[in-house]
Amino acid sequence: MTSLIQDPLLWILIVVLAAAVIAVLRARRTNQALRRKKNDLEAGLTAARGEAGHLHAHIATLSAQHDHDLAGVRADAEAATKAVLKSAMGTLQSLAEEQQVLLDGLLKKYGDDTGVLADLMSVDHTGSQFGRRAKGISVLCGGWLGRRDSAASVYDVARSAQGRIKDFSRVGVHSQVSISIANKAVEPVAVVLAELLDNATNYSAPGTPVEVNIQAVPTGVCFIVDDAGLGMDQETKDRAAALLSPDRPVDITALGDPPRFGFAVCGMLAARYGFAVSVGSVSPYGGVRAVIRVPEDLLTPDVPQPEPVQEPGIEETPAPQRLAPVPVVGPSHVVGTTQGGLPKRRRRKGPVSVAAVPDAVAPAQDGTSVPASEVTASRIGAFARGTLLGRDNTTEGPQNQ
Amino acid sequence: MRTPGEEAVTSDFVRSYVITGGRSLPTSEDLALHTLVTLAPERTLPLGAGPEVRAIWELVSGGYLSVAEVAGHLELPVGVVRLLLTDLSAQGHLLLRAAPPRHQNVDRATLEKVLNGLQSLIG
Repeated sequence: MTSLIQDPLLWILIVVLAAAVIAVLRARRTNQALRRKKNDLEAGLTAARGEAGHLHAHIATLSAQHDHDLAGVRADAEAATKAVLKSAMGTLQSLAEEQQVLLDGLLKKYGDDTGVLADLMSVDHTGSQFGRRAKGISVLCGGWLGRRDSAASVYDVARSAQGRIKDFSRVGVHSQVSISIANKAVEPVAVVLAELLDNATNYSAPGTPVEVNIQAVPTGVCFIVDDAGLGMDQETKDRAAALLSPDRPVDITALGDPPRFGFAVCGMLAARYGFAVSVGSVSPYGGVRAVIRVPEDLLTPDVPQPEPVQEPGIEETPAPQRLAPVPVVGPSHVVGTTQGGLPKRRRRKGPVSVAAVPDAVAPAQDGTSVPASEVTASRIGAFARGTLLGRDNTTEGPQNQ
Repeated sequence: MRTPGEEAVTSDFVRSYVITGGRSLPTSEDLALHTLVTLAPERTLPLGAGPEVRAIWELVSGGYLSVAEVAGHLELPVGVVRLLLTDLSAQGHLLLRAAPPRHQNVDRATLEKVLNGLQSLIG
């Protein structure tokens, strides 16, 4: 026993045991404290989560409210901006119109002075472009175009539109139609055509032609604008299509900087007056083909001025004067000159004919080269006249430029 | 569709620089204001004639008319009409005639002699 008590190993064991018991007790206390702390924290977390969820819902409500308010404010601002712009543009439109009327007078007053007239014309040209811009912006802001008192022929509408763009001399107008646009649609169609011509000349190489062809279709009249540019990419086509068939008022602040008003103006006017504008097909020259289709209810059959003037032209178009180079009338024709300088004539065989076809055959019997070339010329001339008459399906006679 | 804000537009619909096609204008030396023009016999209207050329065609087909009168009837600036007339003339469609020269002033004494002679004949 004594030996046991004196055994240091036993004491060491006891000390270790005591230390272990103390450590275990301590660890248990710490564990309990930690558990309590964890429970507290978990409760806190749940509360915080609830709070956060609540806050999220609140934020969502606020942000919806904010968006709604913002849209309202934007719409108000847009409306206010448009109202101000419309009023301002109205003033500019009036001034531009006043200037045009003034220039009409000046052009006539100084018409005899070539230099002054040319200068006035360049001022007039700038003024016309200015007027078109003012009109375009005004239309987008809900304003109105001026109203013409009389109908205008489709040819004049196209030429008026031509005068409102920068590169007007590149534009060629070809009309086979003698019909007029009703007075209320004259300015809208001219403005839309001017915008399309402006696009066509801006997006094609300088010097390339831009053609306006006017064709009658069963549902009205089409103005077809063809350019020789590079065409439009898909993005531009989509943008154009969206602007050309507007389902709501155009946002003028979303037209870019510098703003591209063209298609938006076309879409607004077409929707307002009831005609159709389409772009995006390919022109025969590889560029863009744009088409304005004006329905029948915006057309009037009467042509204001050219109608009476046209009469002599129609009567004389098939007249025989154009056959004059071919020796139609007379028993003989000149085949050369004599040594004395007198015209050498050859007798014609057979009866004298005034019709073109028998006459065309007759010189072939002579076998001389001069009549042969005349026959060729006559045939080509007759063919040209025939195709022109064939293409011209109206009774008024062709009036292409 | 008409609103009170829509005003009538009265300016010329087709601007004169479009009618000339932006070409440079001829000077008055070729066609003075009082130069008389008429249609040459047996001419046909060119196929591509615009409304203005057709109007000129009809105006001058009836006999001699001065350049100024043609411009007045067409309500176009003289320079524009001059260009159109120059085109037609270059194509051989027109006959031009300078206005009759102003008579040289006959001296007063001769006129008085004539007057006296006439009075003695009648009286």
